[in-house]
Amino acid sequence: MVGSFIPKNKKEALDLKAKYTELIPYSGGTDLMVENRKNPSYLFLGKLNELKGIKKTDGKIEIGAETTFTEALESPIIPQMMKDALILIAAPAIRNTGTFAGNIGNGSAKADSALIEYGLDAVITVESVRGERNIPIEDFYLGRKHIDLNEDEIITKITIPDIHPDFYSYEKVGGRKALAISRIAFLGILEMESDKIKSISVSFGAVSEKIIRYKDVEKMLIGLTKEEAKAKKDEFVKAYEDRMQLTEGRVSADYRKKVTIKLLKEFLKNGGI
Amino acid sequence: MKDISKSVVRKDHEEKITGSCKYVADYDSKGVLIGKLVRSKKAHGKLIGINFPKMPNGYMSVTYEDVPGINEVHIVKDDTPVFAKDSVEYIGEPVAMIIGPDEKIVNELVKETELIIDELEPVLDILKSDTVFFDYEYTKGDHVKAFKEADKVYEETFSTGYQEQAYLETQGMMAEPEEDGKILVHGSMQCVYYVHNAVKKVLGSDDFHIRQDPTGGGFGGKEAWPSIVASEVAVAAYKAKKPVRLVFDRREDLEFTSKRHPSITHYRVAVKNGRVTAMDIDVKFNAGAYTTLSAVVLQRGLICADGVYNIPNLIVKGKALKTNTVPNGAYRGFGAPQTFFPVETIMSHIAQDMGKEPLEFKREHLVKQGDMTSTSGMYHFPVPLEDMIEEVAKASGFYEKRKKYSEKQSGRYRRGIGISMHFHGAGFTGAGERDLIKAVAKLKKHKDGTVEVLAANGEIGQGLRTTFPKIVAHELGIPLDRVYYNWPDTGKVPDSGPTVASRSLMVVGELMRRLAIKLKEIWKDGEEQIVEERFREPSFVIPFNLDIFQGDAYPTYAWGVQAVEIELDTLTGLMKNLGTWASFDVGTPADYNIVMGQMEGGLLQGLGYSSMEKMDYDKNGRIRNNNFSDYLIPTSMDVPNMNVQLHVEEYPDGPYGAKGAGELPLVGVPAAYVEAVSQALGGVRINHIPFTQEDAMKEIAKKDE
Ligand SMILES: Cc1cc2nc3c(=O)[nH]c(=O)nc-3n(C[C@H](O)[C@H](O)[C@H](O)COP(=O)(O)OP(=O)(O)OC[C@H]3O[C@@H](n4cnc5c(N)ncnc54)[C@H](O)[C@@H]3O)c2cc1C
Repeated sequence: MVGSFIPKNKKEALDLKAKYTELIPYSGGTDLMVENRKNPSYLFLGKLNELKGIKKTDGKIEIGAETTFTEALESPIIPQMMKDALILIAAPAIRNTGTFAGNIGNGSAKADSALIEYGLDAVITVESVRGERNIPIEDFYLGRKHIDLNEDEIITKITIPDIHPDFYSYEKVGGRKALAISRIAFLGILEMESDKIKSISVSFGAVSEKIIRYKDVEKMLIGLTKEEAKAKKDEFVKAYEDRMQLTEGRVSADYRKKVTIKLLKEFLKNGGI
Repeated sequence: MKDISKSVVRKDHEEKITGSCKYVADYDSKGVLIGKLVRSKKAHGKLIGINFPKMPNGYMSVTYEDVPGINEVHIVKDDTPVFAKDSVEYIGEPVAMIIGPDEKIVNELVKETELIIDELEPVLDILKSDTVFFDYEYTKGDHVKAFKEADKVYEETFSTGYQEQAYLETQGMMAEPEEDGKILVHGSMQCVYYVHNAVKKVLGSDDFHIRQDPTGGGFGGKEAWPSIVASEVAVAAYKAKKPVRLVFDRREDLEFTSKRHPSITHYRVAVKNGRVTAMDIDVKFNAGAYTTLSAVVLQRGLICADGVYNIPNLIVKGKALKTNTVPNGAYRGFGAPQTFFPVETIMSHIAQDMGKEPLEFKREHLVKQGDMTSTSGMYHFPVPLEDMIEEVAKASGFYEKRKKYSEKQSGRYRRGIGISMHFHGAGFTGAGERDLIKAVAKLKKHKDGTVEVLAANGEIGQGLRTTFPKIVAHELGIPLDRVYYNWPDTGKVPDSGPTVASRSLMVVGELMRRLAIKLKEIWKDGEEQIVEERFREPSFVIPFNLDIFQGDAYPTYAWGVQAVEIELDTLTGLMKNLGTWASFDVGTPADYNIVMGQMEGGLLQGLGYSSMEKMDYDKNGRIRNNNFSDYLIPTSMDVPNMNVQLHVEEYPDGPYGAKGAGELPLVGVPAAYVEAVSQALGGVRINHIPFTQEDAMKEIAKKDE
C-alpha cells in the first residue's frame, strides 16, 4: 500500500502511475466508492483540468477523459445521441461526478456512454510516460471487465466523429426511470449518401459480456438503396438473431433476445428500410 | 375543511430537515460495544456446535446459553429463538452474536466463527410444506347450495410476491446498563410494549425499560422484528455489563428481516342470473420459518377476501405455511393486498366473460350500509364507494379512456386504464382492542402549563408526534407548542397499544380528545395534574368470535378507489404510468398535509408492489435481491402524476370523525394496475404480481406467434 495521491498535472499523474503501478485511477469515484475496496491506493484524476473539456477539431470531437456527464450535457458540441444516453444515466448526483473515463475504465458492457462510443467508432487515447496510444474502442474492450490498458497507463481522451446522421435511434431499457442500470441498450445509426446507404451502425449494450457490434453484418446493407436494403432486411435481422449469444442477468436471456430484435426491426422500419 | 384538518408544521420537521435528529446509530460510540450476528448459511439443519475463534481481550461471544430468562422471543406465539439452539431454520437465522469495541475486528471474528450444521432438506415451496402454522376456516350463508345452483362457476389461481418495507433506516437497537442496575433498550421500533414484553421474557426480570428512538420508517417492518433485535442486544448487554449496539447493514436488512408474505390464492366463484352468489376462497401464505405475526396477517387477509362486495354465501379457508425462509411479517396492508388483488381481478374476469364492463358488474355487487360483512358482522356506517367511484372516474376521464382503449390498438405504444375498490378495516382485527390491547393513555399537565402526552405509540414518519398534541391543544384551546409528545419510554408511559393496524389516530387519538376534555374540566393553573383514559368498545359493535370468525372484525372501515392509466411499450415491455387517481375515505383528516403524504406514499408503494418490486429466493433458500440495484423500488422519477382526493365519511367514535388511514392507500393498487396493463395488452388475463416488463414481453411474444 503506497497511499493515495492527488497529482497537480497530467505529467505528475503519469509519473506516479509509472512509479506505482498499483495505483488505482480514481475519477468521479461513483463506481469505486460502491466497490469500497479495503485499503486502496488511489490516483485522483477527476480534478485535472488538462484531462477535462470538450473540443471540436476538423470533423472530430475530443472529450477529455475526466469530463463529467453533466458537463457534457451542458456542452453545445456533444452530439444529441450522446446526450440521449447521458441524461438517462443514474441521477443528477451521479452525473455530476461520473466521468467518461470511469464509464469505460471498468470495462462494463452496461456503460451507457460506451455504447454511443461503439456506435460512433470512437478512439480511446491512453497515455503513459512511454507515450500515447490511440485505440479504436472495439479493440479497447478485450472481454468481460477487461480492457486494453497497461499498468502504467491512464485513459486521457475519447474522440468521436462530428457526424450528423440522417437517422438514429437510441433506446435504454432499465428497471425503472432513474438509477437504473441498463438491462438492454440499443443504438442504430444510418447515414445516406445521395440515395445509397453510406453506413449503418448497430450496437447492443448490456446484453452480453461486451457491447455487440457486427461490422461484417452491417456491410450487407452498405451501398444499397433503401428499397434494395428492404429486400435484404430479413436476412440482415436473422444474422443478428443467429449470432447473438445473450447473457442471463437481472432479466432473462430470452427477454433480451426478444427485445433486441424488436428494437433492431423498429430502427430499420423507422429508418425507411 | 374542519379546523383540526388545517395543516401545521410538523413537530419533527426541524430536526429531520436539519439532520440534527439522533437515530440509534448516531449515539456516541465511546464505550459502546459493537454487535454483529453470526448467521446460519444453511436454510435448514441440525445445529451441532459453534467453533468460535479465540476472542481477543474485550471481545466476547453471546449465544442462547447467555440468555438469563427464556430463549424465546415473545411475539404472538413464542417459537422464535433469540439465538438458535438445536436447529437452524432459515438462511440468516441468528445463531450467536459477537461483541467488542472495534467493528472491523468484530466482523473478522464473525467470519472466522464456524457453525457445525448437519444439513437437512429445506422446504422452500409452500405447496410442498406440511407444517401448517395456522389454519382457519369460516363460512357465511349456504355456499354448498349456492354452488350447486350456480349457472356457472369461475375458477382462478393468483399469486403475489414478496414486498420489502425498504424503510430508510435499517433495523437498529442498543442496550445500556444504567446506574440503578436496570437496562435501557432503545432503538428503531414501532411498538415499545411489544419489545418490552419480549425483553421481559428473555431477561426474566423487570429490571429494564424500553424507549423508542427516532425511527426512520417502519411500514410494519418494525412491528415484530425489533422484539428480536432488542432481545439480542439485551442479552448481550446483560452479559457484557456494557452498552451494546447492533445496527443492520442494508444487505442484512433486505435479506434477513421480515417482508410481506408471498401468497397463492385460489378462487371459485358461483354466478347465478348474472350475479355472484357465492365464493369459495383458499388462501395460502408463505410464513417463513417462524410464526411471528403470520396468524394476524392471515386473519386480516381472510376477512377481506370477498372484497367490497355483498356475497351472501362464502367459504373462506386460509393457511400460513412454514418454509425454511426468513419469517414474513407486517407490511402496510397486513395481508389485505394479497386478497384484494385476486378478488378484484376475478370479478373483472367474470365481468369480461359475461361481456360486461368490470366496473359496471362490480357496482351491482357493492356493499351498502346495513349489509352483512364476510364474518356476519355489519357495515354500520354509510359506504361511500359509489360517490368515490364517480370522483375518481371524473378526475381520470375513466369512462372515455376505458372505452377508447378497448378498441383495437396498433403501433408501438398501447394504453390501458384500470380501476379498483377496497376497504381497510380500521383498528386491530377482531376483539383485539377490547381483549388484548386495552389501551390506556394519559396526559400530564406540568406546573408551567405545558401538557405532555403519555402514550406508547411511535412516530415512524406518519406524524403522531404532531397529531396527538394537535388534538390535545385543539380541545384545550391552547397553542400547539404548549403540548408535546416525547419518545415513548415504557418506564414512563402507559400501554396505549402498538403502532399498527391504522389504529393509533383513530383509537388513541380519540383517547387524546377525551383526555383533553377531562383535563380542561379540572384544569388548575400552577399545579401538576394527570388524567387517564381507557379504551371503551363502542356499544354498536357485534362482538367478534375468532374461533368461528363471526361478528364485527372492525368497528368501521376506511374506503379506497383508485385508477391507474398506463402506456405499454410493445417493443420493450416497459409500462409507463400516465396517471394515478384515487379517492380515499379515512374520515376527517387530523392534518391535511400529513394525511396526503400518507396517501401518496402508500399509493407509490402499491405501484412498486404491482410492477417492479421483485424479490425471490434461489433453490438453496437464499434471497438474491439484497441491494437496491437488485431490488427496485420506485424513485422520485417513477412517481406518476398523482391525483388524490379525500372523501370524508365521519366516524363518530374517532376523534372529530377520523378513522384508520395509514395502510389504506397501498392495499387496492395492484388490481387497478393489473387491469390497466391487461387492457393495454388487449385483454390478456393477469393473475400475478409483480407484473414486470419481462412478464409483459412474454404476453406480447405470445401474440406475435
Ligand atoms: C447508483 C448508481 C447508478 C449508476 N447508473 C449508471 C447508469 O445508468 N449508466 C452507466 O453507464 N453507469 C451507471 N453507473 C456507474 C458509474 O456511475 C459510471 O460507470 C461512471 O461513468 C463511472 O465514472 P467515475 O468517474 O465515477 O468512475 P470511477 O469510480 O472513478 O472509476 C471507475 C473505474 O474506472 C477506472 N478509471 C477511472 N478513471 C480512469 C482513467 N482516467 N484511466 C483509467 N482507468 C480509470 C477506475 O479505476 C475504476 O475501475 C451508476 C453507478 C451508481 C453508483
